[in-house]
Amino acid sequence: MSLKPLLRGGLAAGLVALAVSACSAPVEPRSAGAPATPSTPSGPAVLPAPTGARPVGATVLHLTDDSRADPWVPEVKARELMVTVWYPARERSGRAAPYMSVKESELTLKGKRMTGAPLDILSRTRTHAFADAAPAGRDGSLPLVVLSPGFTMPRTTLTALAEDLASHGYVVAGVDHTYENYATTFPGGRVADCVACDSDTDFGFGTKVSGIRAADVSFVLDRLTGDEPAWKGSSLIDPAKIAMAGQSMGGAGALAAMVKDSRVRAGIDMDGTTYARIPKGGLARPMLFLGSAGHKPGGRDISWDRDWKLLTGWKRWLVLPGGDHQSFTDVPLLAGALGLEPPGSLTAARSAELTRTYVRAFLDLHLRARPQPLLERPSPRHPEVTHCAPATKTCA
Amino acid sequence: MSAKTVAAGLALLLAAACTGQTPPRALPGQTSAGGPPVCAEPPRGAPPAAETPTTIDVVEQAYLCILSRYYSGPTLDARTLLNAGFLAFTQELNRSGHDLAEATMPAMSGDRTADWAAFEKLYRRLTDLLPQDTKLRERLAATTLQAIVDALNDNHARWAHDLQRAPSAYDDEQYGLGFKPSLGPQVGGNPGTALPPLFVTSVLGGAAERAGLRPGDIIESVNGSAPFVGDAVTPAAITALYPRYPQADPVRLRVLRQDTGRRREVTLKPGLFQPDPAAMRTVSAVRLGDGVAHVRLRGFGPDAADRVLKAISRLKTGGELTGLVMDLRGNGGGSPVEVNRLLGAFAHGKVTAYQCAADGACDTMRTDDSVPLLGLPFVVLTDRGCASACEHFSAAVKDHGLGKLVGTRSAGAVSGPAQPYLLRDNTMLSFPAKHHLAPNREVVDRVGVAPDHYVPATAEDAAAGRDAALAKALTLLPGGSAS
Repeated sequence: MSLKPLLRGGLAAGLVALAVSACSAPVEPRSAGAPATPSTPSGPAVLPAPTGARPVGATVLHLTDDSRADPWVPEVKARELMVTVWYPARERSGRAAPYMSVKESELTLKGKRMTGAPLDILSRTRTHAFADAAPAGRDGSLPLVVLSPGFTMPRTTLTALAEDLASHGYVVAGVDHTYENYATTFPGGRVADCVACDSDTDFGFGTKVSGIRAADVSFVLDRLTGDEPAWKGSSLIDPAKIAMAGQSMGGAGALAAMVKDSRVRAGIDMDGTTYARIPKGGLARPMLFLGSAGHKPGGRDISWDRDWKLLTGWKRWLVLPGGDHQSFTDVPLLAGALGLEPPGSLTAARSAELTRTYVRAFLDLHLRARPQPLLERPSPRHPEVTHCAPATKTCA
Repeated sequence: MSAKTVAAGLALLLAAACTGQTPPRALPGQTSAGGPPVCAEPPRGAPPAAETPTTIDVVEQAYLCILSRYYSGPTLDARTLLNAGFLAFTQELNRSGHDLAEATMPAMSGDRTADWAAFEKLYRRLTDLLPQDTKLRERLAATTLQAIVDALNDNHARWAHDLQRAPSAYDDEQYGLGFKPSLGPQVGGNPGTALPPLFVTSVLGGAAERAGLRPGDIIESVNGSAPFVGDAVTPAAITALYPRYPQADPVRLRVLRQDTGRRREVTLKPGLFQPDPAAMRTVSAVRLGDGVAHVRLRGFGPDAADRVLKAISRLKTGGELTGLVMDLRGNGGGSPVEVNRLLGAFAHGKVTAYQCAADGACDTMRTDDSVPLLGLPFVVLTDRGCASACEHFSAAVKDHGLGKLVGTRSAGAVSGPAQPYLLRDNTMLSFPAKHHLAPNREVVDRVGVAPDHYVPATAEDAAAGRDAALAKALTLLPGGSAS
């Protein structure tokens, strides 16, 4: 989240200009939780099993948008995206879907400057989806959820959430926003690195990135629900039931996509400072703010308070005071394998459980019209999650 | 402390405060009476919690932190800090109409602990005599703390507090009047640097744009005050041009348009505006003339050096380069690591600066020789806005004769790399542990780096859209004059 308020003005002499030129763009935290205490790596991570009844399939799509040049590398006259689709599968058979490649693991860990564990360790993470398994479902019956990761993070860091949603009957599309992480691999082994990292301190960076993400998502929706579907299971998707969730910059992207594309019926921002301008007339579609301690109402990041007033539909603002920025991703689950303590005061298993529970409750309510008491009031079974009242700047 | 650790200091300010990157390891924390460390490192990854009211306990924490970690902390006469603090305290009492007969400086012995105890005891007794007004108490404590920091008279010692952002602000918006004046807000700290006239350098948007201000417009008065009385600048008039949220009082200017001779009054209301992102980019690069790269770097933030080098190599794809203009005007500084890295593109095996403790022991900073040499003749553009790390760079270029400096003298704001410390009210105190010397072991702080070719920015050039310093730079480079 942004620390802009900390540096806006108030600095004497020499670094005044510094604050303006180098710090005025709020940048999502780059570190994967910056866990504090190194310990011995535990061996490869095993993601928690999905909680739904359906087997889960996963397939990888390569999509090329010829209508625009790549916003980060304008010499490239098309925007190429890699997307993983998780979905309910007919049966549990075939090989386990890889978490990421050896090369991606290596480049991601090097990019994050986390070199205390074998560099291939992330590629050995155990997933629960079956690669390219046959999809199951009736035509036009499955709701679609787009997932967008944090800045510098690959789409696979939302796998625990994606697999769980798919096991409950959602089609989930995780998007790598090319050049916004350390390793996106295209067919043939071409790897795009983090070109956007070169300008992440630029003024207005957040606005630029969230706008790019909105455009990426609109294109992905075109290809998943349009006339020339990119995925063999596309016909199963109900195009009237689309939502988006994202962590950090991905959450900012979710709000930006909602503003730009009315096909996105509902959105979840997990701990991301927001940048998109909601029109003065407001945004009437459902929105969930799901934050860690840094995103309480009245805090240093003004963006949720600002946007809250412009959200005119169903909305909730939930905060996990013991959570970390990465609690909504696979990062806590991977920490042991990297020889790091999980960030925040929640256990890795619990943060995954809470994220899965609240994200699915929101989607079940808004895409399936199933009432969710969990979202109406604090839950004794989930004391880590507080409901916030921005008007009084309180969470309980 | 190794040179690398020192180097990390200023980088840290950027990293920790701007990107939430992991700060370097903590210095061994001094504790007061077994309590929490006096000089606490800022939290990792996450931003600090919301600010709480400043109290005399926070003032004590800042006082002790300065004495244990500031450049001259271990040796300075702590009475000067307490004197300054008490002076500001009495002035604030007077301003708020509550001066007290008992508000007299207590006797100081020179013993830091005993003197603080006497100071604190009196402070508490005096504030107990005041009405129950929490705002007044906060203001008194904040004024006292600020005065103690100011007493260091160090341009890299600062206390960042009560920083508010307009609640409706977006990431790509700034708050202010919407134009850049020819004098910076820091002019009060070094008034001798200011030369008349005051004029509009560029219009960014907002109120200035709506009022029709143009580059080159001469500002003859600010809220009725002359910006210069004779040759002496009026710092308050300049400061008024840099309102910070929530300051929202309109600012009245009398403006002279030079070419028409027309004078008019405009009233600018501070507000949010969206500057052109292209004009705000940290690194921008264009090819000029027969092959001169004009690269503008607005700050030595993270990856600044690599970004400059990438921009240059991209320009090379459009044909061979014959020279480079490194435009550092308005570059407010950043990380010494980035400075050393960028200098590594121009020379290897050179000392770029010394970071020296009060006892004279210095760490040596050197060029990053892992960077391939560019092998291009180059000119550096500097001005009064080139501060801190920018002066580290410029002084090294000049001392080693790596290239010529064109423009005006730099800011003279490079005391040393500042290390931030989190105070218990969640505000940030930062100051250097070492002071900067240029490669010839000369002090640059306050003095600034003098250009080889003096080419000041003028109101006439601003109005005409001319860039005299850049034009001069091009005459110094092969292939540059052809443009």
